[in-house]
This record gives sequence, C-alpha cells and structure tokens, in this order.
Amino acid sequence: MRLRNWGFSFVSLLALGALGCEPSTKPGVALMGHAGSAGSGGSAGASSMPQTCNAPSPGPAPLHPLTRFQYNNIVRDLLGDTTQPAQAFPPENEVDGYRTLAAANQANPLLVESYLTAAETVAASAAQSRLATVAPCEAGLDPARCGHDFVTSFGRRAFRRELTPAELGPLSALFDSGNTVSYAKGVELVIQTVLQSPQFLYRVDSLKAPTAESGAVALGGYELAGRLAFALWGSAPDGALMDAAAQGRLVTAADVDREARRLLEDPRAHDIVRDFSEQWLELSRLDGAVRVGTSLDVNVLNAALRQSLTSYLDTSYFGGHGSFQQLFTDPSVWLDATLAPIFGGAAPPVDGFAAQTLPEPRFGLLTQPALLTILSHSDQTAPVIRGVFVRERFLCQDVPPPPPNLNPVPPKVDTTATTRERFRQHTEQAACSGCHQLIDGVGFGFERYDQLGRYRATENGLDVDESGEVLATGEVGLDGPFAGAGELAARIANSPMARDCLAKNWYTYTFGRQVAPEDTCSLAQLQKRFTDSGGDLKELLVALTQTDSFLYRPAMTGSP
Amino acid sequence: MTQRISRRNVLRAASGALLALPLLPSLRGAARAQAATPPRRFVTMYTPNGVIHEDWWPSAVSSETDFQLSLSHQPLSAYKDRLLILGGVEMKVAADGEGGPHQRGIGGLFTNTQLGQGAFVDGCGRTAGWATGISIDQRIAGVIGAGSPVASLQLGVRATENDVQGRISYAAAGMPLPPLATPLDVYKSVFQDFLPPAVSPDEDAARALLTQRRSVLDAVASEFGALETRLSAQDRQTLDAHLTLIRDVERRLSIGIGDCQKPPQPVTLDPVSETDMPTIAELELDLLAVAFACDLTRVASFEISTALNRIRYPWVNSLGEGHTLSHVGSSDPDTRTQLVARQNWHASLIARLFDKLALISEGDGSVLDSTLLFWGNEVSMGTTHSHDNMPFVLAGGQWAFRTGRYVQYTGNPSHGDLLVSVLNAMGVPDTTFGDARFSSGPLPNLV
Repeated sequence: MRLRNWGFSFVSLLALGALGCEPSTKPGVALMGHAGSAGSGGSAGASSMPQTCNAPSPGPAPLHPLTRFQYNNIVRDLLGDTTQPAQAFPPENEVDGYRTLAAANQANPLLVESYLTAAETVAASAAQSRLATVAPCEAGLDPARCGHDFVTSFGRRAFRRELTPAELGPLSALFDSGNTVSYAKGVELVIQTVLQSPQFLYRVDSLKAPTAESGAVALGGYELAGRLAFALWGSAPDGALMDAAAQGRLVTAADVDREARRLLEDPRAHDIVRDFSEQWLELSRLDGAVRVGTSLDVNVLNAALRQSLTSYLDTSYFGGHGSFQQLFTDPSVWLDATLAPIFGGAAPPVDGFAAQTLPEPRFGLLTQPALLTILSHSDQTAPVIRGVFVRERFLCQDVPPPPPNLNPVPPKVDTTATTRERFRQHTEQAACSGCHQLIDGVGFGFERYDQLGRYRATENGLDVDESGEVLATGEVGLDGPFAGAGELAARIANSPMARDCLAKNWYTYTFGRQVAPEDTCSLAQLQKRFTDSGGDLKELLVALTQTDSFLYRPAMTGSP
Repeated sequence: MTQRISRRNVLRAASGALLALPLLPSLRGAARAQAATPPRRFVTMYTPNGVIHEDWWPSAVSSETDFQLSLSHQPLSAYKDRLLILGGVEMKVAADGEGGPHQRGIGGLFTNTQLGQGAFVDGCGRTAGWATGISIDQRIAGVIGAGSPVASLQLGVRATENDVQGRISYAAAGMPLPPLATPLDVYKSVFQDFLPPAVSPDEDAARALLTQRRSVLDAVASEFGALETRLSAQDRQTLDAHLTLIRDVERRLSIGIGDCQKPPQPVTLDPVSETDMPTIAELELDLLAVAFACDLTRVASFEISTALNRIRYPWVNSLGEGHTLSHVGSSDPDTRTQLVARQNWHASLIARLFDKLALISEGDGSVLDSTLLFWGNEVSMGTTHSHDNMPFVLAGGQWAFRTGRYVQYTGNPSHGDLLVSVLNAMGVPDTTFGDARFSSGPLPNLV
C-alpha cells in the first residue's frame, strides 16, 4: 500500500529529518515520490515536471487490458451474461492495491487460456439461450444477412468503434462457415472470436492517424465514449454514447461533461465506486481474514463487514450530501442481523442492511468496522498498520521503512496491559522513535476500536487512552495532539492534503498508472475542481473526465 | 512402505481403499507411457518466512550419510535416502538490490536475479519490481516440457499476494506466471479445458471441435494483424507477446491429453480460506501426481502462501500469523513449536506427493524415480531476514545426485551454483544461471 504524493512539500521532508525519521535508502525517492511503474520504474524529481500547464498536457495512453471487473460488466451489458466469467481469470497484479495498472499486467499463459475458456462458455450460452435478444433474426429474413448485420453491430459495441474492413472480413467469413451448420453456430463463432480479439480485450486509445501528429491530440468521439464508460461504469459504452460519438455530439469538454453526468445517474456508476473503493481501501485483505473475539463463521462475518462498508461508501457518494467531509465524519454504520449484535446496534428494521447511529461514538470512514478489521492483527489491534495506512492512503504520504537491522514484530498479547503500553517501546527506543512517533501517534487514536472494529472504553480492565498526535505532515491544520478518532477524522475531513489525496487515488485507478510527471497538470486540474466543488464526490468523478489526460493523448511518434 | 501398484493394477486399486483418491491414469495411458523411456520431472516448492534453524538441520551428524532428520523433516523419514539437505549455501543474489529481504528473496530464489525497479511495496515500505530473469522451472520446461501437453504447471496454495511477493515462476525477466489457486482450477486447466473428449466422447465430434477452435483462433489472429498495423511499436510488442501465447494454446489443443483417464472433478474450495488451505494443497499435489503419471506435464512450481504473509495454520494448531511468528523465532517456546509444526506440514506435503508417485510404476521403478523436487525459502530465518545458510532441500533426482546426505558447505557457496547443478541434473547443460556474478558452475559434491 503506498501512493506517493507529488505535492509532498520540501518543508515536510526537512521536518521528518528533524524528527530523526529519514529514509534509510534512496534519499529523495522515498519521500519525494517515485514515478516508476511496476517492472520499469524510475524516479523523477521536481526538476522534470512541466513548468506550465497552459497547453494540454496528457499522460501516456498505452493499451490497457480489461480488468476482470470490466470484462464481467461488458459481457453482462452486451450479451446479457451475468455469470461473471472473469472471476475464473488469474487475478490482476496489484500496485498500491490497484488492479488497473497497465504496466504491471501483461498477458500470461493462464490468462490467455482463461480468455479462451470464457469466450467459449459465454458464446455458447448467448447463442443457445439468448439468441433472439443477442442476435435477432426475424422469420423470413435471410440468416446470412442477419449474421453480417450482427457482425457489424456487435463488433461495434465490443470494439467500441466502427470496424475496419480488415476487421470485419474474418468475422463475416467465420459467421458464414458457422452458418452452414446453423445461424446460432455462426453467431457463436463470431462471439468467440470477438471476445478473444485485442480490440475487445484491450482498451485502445491510440491509433495511428493518416497524417503525422505532434503535441497533444484531442481524442475522437469513440475514444471519449470508451473512456467515459470505462471511467464511470467500468464497462463498454451504451448505445446512446456510441450514437453521440457517431453523430459528432461527443467532441468538446462540455459534451463529455454532459455525458458524464448522464452516466452517473445510471446504477452502474455505483459499481465503479465500489470497485475503486475496494482497491483504495484494500478490501481484499478481508478475504479469509480471521479475528479473535467472535464465533461467527469467518466468511459470513467478512461478507457482512464488506457489505456494510460498501453501503456506507455508496451512500457517501450517491446519498444526497455526497461530500468528502461527510465521508470522513458521518456517524452512521450499516448493519444487518449478523452485525447488529456485534456492534451494539438495534435489530435492523428490514431484511438486509440499514444505516444506524450506534450508542457508542463513530466518526465516518476511519471508524467503519470493516476498515478497522482490515487494519488489525488476528488477535489484537495494529496501531502501526493503522497509522501507516492513514498516512499513506488518506494523506498520500510515504512512511520510510524501518532500518534493515531492526526486527519489526508486534508485541505479544498480554492481558495485564493495554495495547498502547505494549507498543510503547517503539517510541521509547531511540532507534525506533523517530519514525514511530509519526506512525503510532496516529494509530493510537483508534485504540477504542478493537480487532473486530468494536468499541471499547477499557482493555483488560484498564481505561483505553485514545489520545494521539499528528506530526510533520506539512499541513498546519492536520498537525498537533488530538483527543481520539473523532478529532482525527474531523481534521482529515477538512484537510486539503487529504482531499487532494483522494483525488490522486481516483486518478491512479482511472488512468491505470502511477502518477508521473506527465500527469502533473491533469492531477492539478482534478484536485482544483474537486476543491472548488466543496469536496463534492460526484463532482470529483465528473472532474476526472475534464482533465487533459482524459480528453487528450500524446501524439504518436514515427511515420503515419 | 506401501506395496507398489503396477500400472496394470491401477484401476483395481483405485476402486479399493489402497489409494484414497482415484486420481490415476488409465491402463491405456499406462501402457503407452510404459513403452517409452520415462521422462524426467521437476518441481520447485516454495514455503515462506524462513525456518527455525535449531529444528531444521539434522542432528547426531557423524558423516554426510549418518545423521538424524530434524523435527521439521520427520514426515520425510521414509524418503531420507532420497534427500539432499544442503547447509551453508548462501543466496548471494538477494543480499542487496531493489526491495526488501522478502521481496529480494522470493524474486531471486528460483531466478538467481535481482529485482527491477518498481512500485511493489513490502511490509516495511521498501519498493521493487519483478525479478529480472527466467526461473529455473521455466528454463527446464523450455527444454523438457515441449513433449508434454502442458509445458509446466504453476500451483499456488493461498498465494494471494498479486505482486512480487506472490510469484515464484517467471517466463522471462519481468514476466511472472500466476499460480492456479485451487484444485478445481488445476483440474480445469489440465484435464478439462483442453480435452476434446471431455466435451464429447465421440471422436468425430472431438475432431470437429478441434477444427472449430482452430478456425476461431485463426480469425482471432487476423484481428490481431488488423489492429497491430495501427499501433505504436510498444503496443505492438504487447500484442505480439499475447499472440504468441495464443499460438501456444493452439499447439496444445492439437495434443490434448491423449488417452489418460480423466480424474474425477475436485470439489470447489475457497482459495483464501484457512479452513480449506490444507485440502487445497493436498488435492493440487494429487492432481500433479496424475499429470506426471500421464505425462501431461513434466515441470511444476508449488507455492505455499507468499512472502511476508499473515496466515494462520489452525490445522496444526498454529494460530499466530506467519510473518509475525517468524520474527519472534525460537526465543519463545510456543512460537517455536508453531513454526516447527508449519515446517512439518510442508514436509508432509512432499511426503504425500512422493507417496503417490512411488505407487505408480514406470519402467523398472516408479514415477518417483524420475522426479526431482527443490524446496526453498525466501529468507533463512525470520529473526534476521538473512540469506546465508539457506534452508534448501533437494528431494529425489538420484539419477544425478548422491542422495541420502546432509552436505554442509563451507565458504558460503552461491545458490546460483546450486541452480546450475539442478539444471544439469534435469538435462540442461547450462554452466551459469541468472546473474552471472552469483553463478559460476555447478555446486561441488553433489553428483
């Protein structure tokens, strides 16, 4: 887990050094940012950043393989297949918890094999069970004619643009050969082929133009349609977007803004918030995680915790206020019949989840049970993990690694002391204290929430001290002692640094790469719009579509 | 030791109680394989977080051949004469470079390369990219795997960290191979997806399906061609690599699994569940045994969890988190007991695989006689994260190695030399492997 903050000021670098917490290796990289993508890497300092953002300055636009989430959504939207076939694919490689990074995800044998299997299964199901809706051909019509129409229309939706003759030819020929058996067989073979074609499996934003290019190139309607649908639905464009592209109604930033707002009214926008949040908050760490203190089945409990957090986040984005501030301060927790007894909630009024205000204090995202569970050990809380997570995930700060000769291990559980007392050696030993006061000072603020995220005023009969201190963030409003998770949450909710950090996380997820110098202008545009909107979360999603990196791509080099 | 089953008795045995799982080749497959020279098989096995050295190395050592197995290796006592326990070998390649000690260790273990730059973060905030070379299993598969339908298998048991800490096999620099996560995935990949008779027992229908798949993949290749002309050089490279993999799949389709009898389909298990974890490991190895016996594959990697994991092993009463326990090490008696129990279980998995392989006769012996397994770890011990005196074990491979020994090397030879020895044993005549600074020829005193 780690996102590096380009805005991390030189002032804070000095401040950390003054506290005795300096990176042990690669000075300048650990704190100032690291632009490398997985496998390639490289770092860049302030000197390589563009000086101005007057002209459009997009980041790179290489091929992006579909994620499993996107694949599932597309076969659902295009073929009515709700079996989520991509769940059988090997998982994406993750960088900073994100599965969308193109640089870390090349094809591998297992994936290609999975593509084949899924294509056969999906195609057979569509041709056998849903032929009349997938590829209708009314009685009396020539099946060959219907088939070629299907190749054109399905190809267009699946490739997210009009097909060239070179692309249509093999598909039509394959339909014809299948059609000698049956119309359905012809359709099935076409679907099989399309689902294994690179135009489907990769998002393609850079195609060679007939003439040489230079500078930033404005994307065409189909490319914008594709970017919009992937950014806000995690799926392929719908018919309306494709039509807008075809008819020249998807050209300007205002056009894109209009369509973005339409897409956000669709239920599929909720899926993108869930998919992003799962990666931002590393919810996969809930899978199989066992925490002592309950006899509930671990899968039942973790599924409920995940749904609880998902509901909370969904409401934060779509429930009315939808502000960054509310995300970090809303006291409600979503509970069902499984969770209500654990967290002292009332029995939910209906079957399923309902938002409740619990008798004991809760303060927004930071105190959501699922998050606190993830940020725990199996048998105790994890102040260090919690502190690092806040710094890295919510403030986009790097915490330097411990010196290589240290042996970092959480102290053993001891029923005569509080967790805080047991972890205190971090801040007492000189070798550790420099960094750990930055980490533990934040993490101790959560001590009133145990490894299951339950509230506790006492631990082992001793009062739980939930005071903490934020040091050396470089932002005046964040720094200083605080009285518990509530005060910490309020500071984060009002912090420009934290707000910028959320925008940066969305940027990484949406554009599928770690933020690099080329992204400086686009990221600044995104952060400014988010700030100007008063931290409106839906506006943040719209703002993604208004950046240079969204509307443009760099010119392709080489001969046309 | 259990009485060995001849291949002719395999089906009868399968219906009885002698073998718990009827994962066995058919008589026809056996007869075919029996006629040929037995192929060699190779497995890399990875387990995480180092070992407790007091409970790992043999005791009562009078000579290389006269010693007692440690507590950790007790489950392998039936196979003591097939073991080569190698003390004093250093994983020099992991001493420095990009990343933290777990990252460098798991990346270098089977590749003998250092990590590239990148953004994968270890538990302590250090960053790295992927390993920068092919892994030994893939190098071997490139030489001996071509004759089998599946060039190699990657098996994972709760190896759910999808970055450098969760990958042990590399097709090439920066090209990690993800493992299959459950027995059902293994089954589908080996016995179902590519087996026309699984779709229809009718041979004509099978042939028709094969023809149809070919025509689809030909059309797919045409689509690749149509797109590639319009892409940048870098994007073309991405697609070229993808298309090559499709061609590999196509080639495999034309081989099929021959007349090997398909084993029953395994139950669905949860790849992240600590309850299902031991069953996943056992059934994956059972399927590997069938794949070896049927000569569907000759090379596999087997990965138990990942570097720096936080996994419990409740089935051996280890309720601590793996990485945390390893940091405490032998200083705490209960922790030490838990860690030894974990190694015991790892060793028992090797014994289970060997039990299966030993029961299937081939030539004058068994499939086990043509198998070599290399068991490694990404660090030496959790308390230090060092890479000297690595806990390496070779099991099997008597055709090449003098086994049944505990060899204690002096002078910290590089594990890159050990990898060369393994390559040579598997018929790959390379003289160095990976980073040549840490590999200068085979390790002495093995053959």
